[in-house]
Amino acid sequence: MGRPTKTSPARRWIPARALFGALAGVSLVAGMAGGLWRLGVAVPDPHSFTWTGQVLLVHAALMVCGFLGTVIGIERAVAVKHRWAFVAPLASGAGALCLAFGPQAAGAWLCVAAAVFFLAVNALVVWRQRAAHTLLLAVGAAAWVVGNLLFAAGRDGSAVFPWWFAFLVMTIAAERLEMTRLMRRRPAASVTLHAVLALLLAGAACSGAAPRAGGLVYGAALALLAAWLAVFDVARRTVFTRGISRYMAVCLLGGYAWLGIAGVAWAATALGWPARDAALHALGLGFVISMVMGHAPVVLPAIARIKLRFGAFFYLPLAALHLSLVVRLALGSFSDPLRAAGASLNAAAIVFFAVTVAGAAVAWRIQHGAEGARKAR
Amino acid sequence: MNSPADTAPAAARFPYDGPEHLRAPLAAALSRVVDPEISMNIVDVGLVYGVMVDAAMAHVRITMTSAACPVIELIMDEAEAELDKVVPPELQIRVELVWEPPWSPERMSPGAKRFMGW
Repeated sequence: MGRPTKTSPARRWIPARALFGALAGVSLVAGMAGGLWRLGVAVPDPHSFTWTGQVLLVHAALMVCGFLGTVIGIERAVAVKHRWAFVAPLASGAGALCLAFGPQAAGAWLCVAAAVFFLAVNALVVWRQRAAHTLLLAVGAAAWVVGNLLFAAGRDGSAVFPWWFAFLVMTIAAERLEMTRLMRRRPAASVTLHAVLALLLAGAACSGAAPRAGGLVYGAALALLAAWLAVFDVARRTVFTRGISRYMAVCLLGGYAWLGIAGVAWAATALGWPARDAALHALGLGFVISMVMGHAPVVLPAIARIKLRFGAFFYLPLAALHLSLVVRLALGSFSDPLRAAGASLNAAAIVFFAVTVAGAAVAWRIQHGAEGARKAR
Repeated sequence: MNSPADTAPAAARFPYDGPEHLRAPLAAALSRVVDPEISMNIVDVGLVYGVMVDAAMAHVRITMTSAACPVIELIMDEAEAELDKVVPPELQIRVELVWEPPWSPERMSPGAKRFMGW
């Protein structure tokens, strides 16, 4: 006779997981559609939607708050294992729905509520583990609160985006700082990272009132962060492993290159160069989505309880993302149709990645059979 | 693969209190639980704080490097699944997550440190 089988509490959460998946998914699809329409790409057909104008306006909010904010909120809620922590991603997902298809003011304030809840969740993490990286995560959450407040107050992108990206960049940097503890402790690592991130926040704070100075400082901080990650990150070691660890390292290192480019482009935009698309999308797609692609095979099984079969095929959508960014940002700087084509390929790369993940989940089920899949839940 | 091969046996890397014949299989089971991001198992990273086996239960205390990590539960589930393969069926299995004392890099095995460039 075997020991009593533990019934996983996760099984009761299937409807909740489907709801959160739908919220993040709708935000992502609407966000991508809005982005494509902005560049004049008529796929999907903008005339077939009642809310086209509305979706188009809130492309950035849907991507940052609706998709990434919801995904990061779920990730953190799973880590702290408290039911109330899921209020944050629920609010950001609902907020995104309102932004795209409902009263936009309500959507913006729901996003504020989401960020405030998310900050509280991060305060709990700090209380559990008082460390440099948990404090940075909390500061990143605070940056999201500020960005969402400015957005709800009707401020434009030049004031809001630096705070939104500070939230994403600090969240990623904090997690990378945590990983550097595995490498030989170099006292300079933590101090320099804090200095760079302080610079980033200073740049964000100045961007509303003094866009030129703020943008220069912000861009410099992004470029310096890329240099910091290139020097100190553990990916430099793990890229010599194999399998999923190497894949994650490749995603990270590729992302750091785009982060450096984004920093230069951000500063150039502040000086009046036409590099805004490069600044926003080298950062949002090249850096952030590359991180998402890198972490998804590890984080998805944890938050969605879906097992994935990892294989070299994961490199294909990653390569598609990076190549499509080259088309958009390098070739696209010479012609608008090329930029639009690059953006369409960006969206296709993200869809390709989603299909890859779905395929990897099916492959795992085929490999392990339905019984294994049931146990995994 | 450049996986960090340890010089000391895995069983020597954490306090163990229980029947001697289970020491090596339990250590081997825990060594099969790998943190996917860094390609290192939880014993080499120094996440296993202790294993105690009595007449009723196998009790494993493990920590994590970050309280913000969503993979915590997955690693704990995997530890439980691996222990399930070697722990006699009449014993309960309890994998407990602890935060004290906080993990520090000194806990890593010499092989893991070498791999990370120490």
